[in-house]
Amino acid sequence: MRPEHRERARIEAATRVVDRAVASLKPPEEVQLEALVNDTLYHERRRLERERGDDARVADDHAFYSKVQKRLRHASARDLRELLDQIALRFASEIVGNFDDRVYKLSTTVVPTGLSVLLTAMSPKKLGSLGSLRHGLSDHVQIQGSVEHVKKLLDQGTLVVVPTHSSHLDSIVLGYAVHLLGLPPLLYGAGLNLFNNPVTSFFMNNLGAYRVDRKKTAALYKDVLKEFATVALELDYNNLFFPGGTRSRSGAVETKLKRGLLGTAVRAYVGNLKSRRDKPNLYVVPCTISYKLGLEADTLIDDHLKEVGKNRYIIEDDEFSRPRQVLNFMSNLVSLDSRVVITFSRPLDIVGNYVDEEGRSLDPRGRVVDAASYVCTNGEPRYDHQRDEEYTNELASGIAREFLRDNVAMSTHVVGHALLSLLRRENPNMDLYRLLRTGGKSPNFTFTEVCRETEAVVSALRNAARGPRLSPELEKDAGSIVDDAVRAFGSYHARPAAVRRGDRVFHEDRNLLLYYGNRLRGYDLTNSSAGGRAA
Amino acid sequence: MSQDECVGVIGAGNWGTTLAKVLGDNGRSTLLWARREDLCREINETRQNSQYLPGFQLPPSVEATPDLARICKSASLLIAVVPSHTMRETARELGNYLTGEHVVVHATKGIEQGTFRRMSEVLREETCLRKIGVISGPNLAKELAARHPTGTLVASRYDEVFVRAHHVLHNDYFRVYQGRDVIGAEIGGGFKNIIALAAGVAAGLGLGDNTKALLLTRGLSEMARFGVAMGADVMTFGGMAGMGDLIATCSSPLSRNHQVGARLARGEKLDDIQRDMRMVAEGVKMAKAAHDYATKKKLDLPIVGAVYRLLYEHHEVALLLKELMSIPAGPEFAALAV
Repeated sequence: MRPEHRERARIEAATRVVDRAVASLKPPEEVQLEALVNDTLYHERRRLERERGDDARVADDHAFYSKVQKRLRHASARDLRELLDQIALRFASEIVGNFDDRVYKLSTTVVPTGLSVLLTAMSPKKLGSLGSLRHGLSDHVQIQGSVEHVKKLLDQGTLVVVPTHSSHLDSIVLGYAVHLLGLPPLLYGAGLNLFNNPVTSFFMNNLGAYRVDRKKTAALYKDVLKEFATVALELDYNNLFFPGGTRSRSGAVETKLKRGLLGTAVRAYVGNLKSRRDKPNLYVVPCTISYKLGLEADTLIDDHLKEVGKNRYIIEDDEFSRPRQVLNFMSNLVSLDSRVVITFSRPLDIVGNYVDEEGRSLDPRGRVVDAASYVCTNGEPRYDHQRDEEYTNELASGIAREFLRDNVAMSTHVVGHALLSLLRRENPNMDLYRLLRTGGKSPNFTFTEVCRETEAVVSALRNAARGPRLSPELEKDAGSIVDDAVRAFGSYHARPAAVRRGDRVFHEDRNLLLYYGNRLRGYDLTNSSAGGRAA
Repeated sequence: MSQDECVGVIGAGNWGTTLAKVLGDNGRSTLLWARREDLCREINETRQNSQYLPGFQLPPSVEATPDLARICKSASLLIAVVPSHTMRETARELGNYLTGEHVVVHATKGIEQGTFRRMSEVLREETCLRKIGVISGPNLAKELAARHPTGTLVASRYDEVFVRAHHVLHNDYFRVYQGRDVIGAEIGGGFKNIIALAAGVAAGLGLGDNTKALLLTRGLSEMARFGVAMGADVMTFGGMAGMGDLIATCSSPLSRNHQVGARLARGEKLDDIQRDMRMVAEGVKMAKAAHDYATKKKLDLPIVGAVYRLLYEHHEVALLLKELMSIPAGPEFAALAV
């Protein structure tokens, strides 16, 4: 982001949010204004209580909010507005972070090198063997789908790329893909913990990331964050949001998407039309990132099982914060055992219609529709909060549909699903969690049984009406698919999901089987002999 | 939303003409679409639709036209009132002229046979529309045309749809309530026709009010079970589009579905009845759609099953009644427990 844009985005985001809040106040305004400041103060105080006291940033926040508290006691209406401005600006400043334009530009070329640096920094001994990393990555990070379509749209408007999210590697891998495709870098919000992580801070600071502190729960903070993204889109910065919010804990493709950041697309579009921007269109590009092996699979599925139905905690200590683990994974990525497939889906407009290569919206019958007509009344663009929320819901449904369609099923997912189905069938009266813990009646299945089940799953996937795509290894015979998956499990996980010994396949880590099998959730697998249930 | 905003009504059948009359009574400039030019001519020249709404004079602000393009250009608010089996075809044609700014409220009862699609889904699949709503309630056309006080529900996920529909329809004899549960409103409006058909059978057999009340109450329970399985909010069925519509339709001998049921009970053949009636009895189609869906989803809907067997498998009325009355009766709300 150019320095002048950075400053503009910072001021604009804070000012718009405060203006909107003030405009919506009902009498007595002063009391409501005070409540707004107090609410933010309360959430920030609570957060600070849980933060480490020796952190300079935390100390600075403490000092700031103490001053706010002191002024609040005798604040006039004017003082209250000023305090709100100050807090919003403080949030906006943190979000904008410290972009360095030179580094930002450079980042389009440093990603592959950066990955080498990342690996080298972690293990100098490995330097020699990673000389071919760049080559290796291009072999194992496969990019497919509507690539040319997306490139053409760059000339027609601004892109919002919305990928599935299952690993902290996603943004790095996607950054690499963007570089390979020759697309301009994407602006995206990354968790503050990634800026603090020595492994990732390099990428976060240099790949157009702005800071998102998920521990900040004040409504004002979230509003400033959304408004910053809106302004960035209006300034023609292509954005990246992970619409699932955090990484998918269960391993499943996200179908319930967060509307917050996604809603910025409609707002920015209306803003563009109102300011009569030359190319006002916004294009939403769903994107699935499919891994054969999940770097953080163990931690994520544990969290999923612990927290099903409850609030999840923010995982700060996972595989991604352990350099050796990342190294293992990356080495694995360039070996034959792992693959990442990035699929760009057909781009959508702000209400979920497909768009053609000229950037025109299409109705379900392929007729051209003027996208502006959705947000106009008598030809004039206008904001309508309730309408725009519903448009965002429509968009979210469209994205979820594309996720399922373009998700790539791989051997690990199919065999994970097949083994779990066999376990369930063998233990019909055992609830899932007990089954995962105990393993049920027998510790293994015959290779033939597993192959038969695998074949049934692949066949059901092939017949599924709405996706997924099948990875090339699934074209092979069932025996090869099972062997391929078992080899992959064994090449990375300390305790593999399953191992083959002689003519038998042992289910070792059933949680991992669930994690991988869940990737096929959302497809009609009732035709497979085991059915499609998953947790 | 100006005072002189033009409204389009797509479909000049019994219900479409009645809604056009309400709009006209409210002083709205209204374009009423009919495919047949002779019908348009009759409406414009005599102010009457003698085939579908005989005996009622249409206000001067109602103009009939076969020109869909003109309607879509003149009106950004449309009310679609075509039979469920022609909705897809009409929507596809309408889609040539619609923009994202258009608001469409449909007033069609029933579900598309074979696909189980609700009418709002058909509109969504065939057009660029997003702002879609449904109007459903205790609205017998002839009573409304005669300005007998009643109410209705306009359900949409978009506030704008309700606000605009309310603005043009609400008056001193027609109360328009707001809802968000489009699925519930559509299911209620379609499903009640099956129960009305059953109520007609009971009336045809000369059974009394106790029987009718039993039928309505258990029918409402089946409606709610069916609706919830399709994603509706159970509360909707206690309102205008559920209980309200059910009471009106099942109590009135004016209802087409009621008439079909009564004539079946008297031993007439379905084909003969339909040939006589000219107008479509939605309950006949809905019974099949609901029965197929219930079978697929393993839903227990005994009244629907009985109506289906009466219509499509020609079972004896007396036998079906005996079967229904022999079903074990347990806790009243057991089937609705989640």
